[in-house]
Amino acid sequence: MNSMSFGEFKVDVQTTNNRGATPEEVAHRCVGKIVAFSEDAHPALRDQAIAYRDSIEKLLVIYMKQAIQSDRTTVYNAIKEAGHPTLAEYIRKM
Amino acid sequence: MAFSGNFMCTSFKKELMTGTHNFTAASDQFKMALYTNSASFTAATTAYTSSNEVTGTNYTAKGNFLTSVTPTTSGTTALTDFADEVFSNVTISSVRGGLIYNEAATGDPSVVVLDFGADKGASSGDFTIVFPTADASNAIIRIA
Repeated sequence: MNSMSFGEFKVDVQTTNNRGATPEEVAHRCVGKIVAFSEDAHPALRDQAIAYRDSIEKLLVIYMKQAIQSDRTTVYNAIKEAGHPTLAEYIRKM
Repeated sequence: MAFSGNFMCTSFKKELMTGTHNFTAASDQFKMALYTNSASFTAATTAYTSSNEVTGTNYTAKGNFLTSVTPTTSGTTALTDFADEVFSNVTISSVRGGLIYNEAATGDPSVVVLDFGADKGASSGDFTIVFPTADASNAIIRIA
């Protein structure tokens, strides 16, 4: 075929109210970028891909939680050093 | 005056042939602005406009910079992608669609029009644009 075409597309929108996204929500989005498979794939391959995707998603959640906790430590120390120990302690306990 | 679907801007297609857009640039190239349903974008849209752009807490006019992914190929299809974009801690409402445009090019030329299908909003929360899987069948920008 010698013609050229631009494919159709659509995006999804996810919103939250009075909070940010949870590690589980972010991990779910992220894993979709890492592991993708065709719905037409052979069932055995598709099952394998789904199992792999699920294991990656669980791993992402664990490390995201660790990253959040670690960043909170950084924020805690920054706020404490700025002279707001009560606020820092509140953040540490979140 | 309303969103009427997703469009690859015709002017963008032409500008690909004149070298206006570079998706491999490190950063600060492409932005996404959000609009109410009073905006009337079509394939004929050629550039960013502030008309009917949403306003709200922590939303900055002209929107957010997107992180573009280096173009690649899959079979005979060329494609590129953006990382999901989070408008953090915003209070915005009646967001019906968005416009991706090239902030680095003269005149802020448009790339694609995105229709969210319904009004969306976030209150003291995150407003996240989730781009489709970057493959030959779904990527946001692909040429087959």
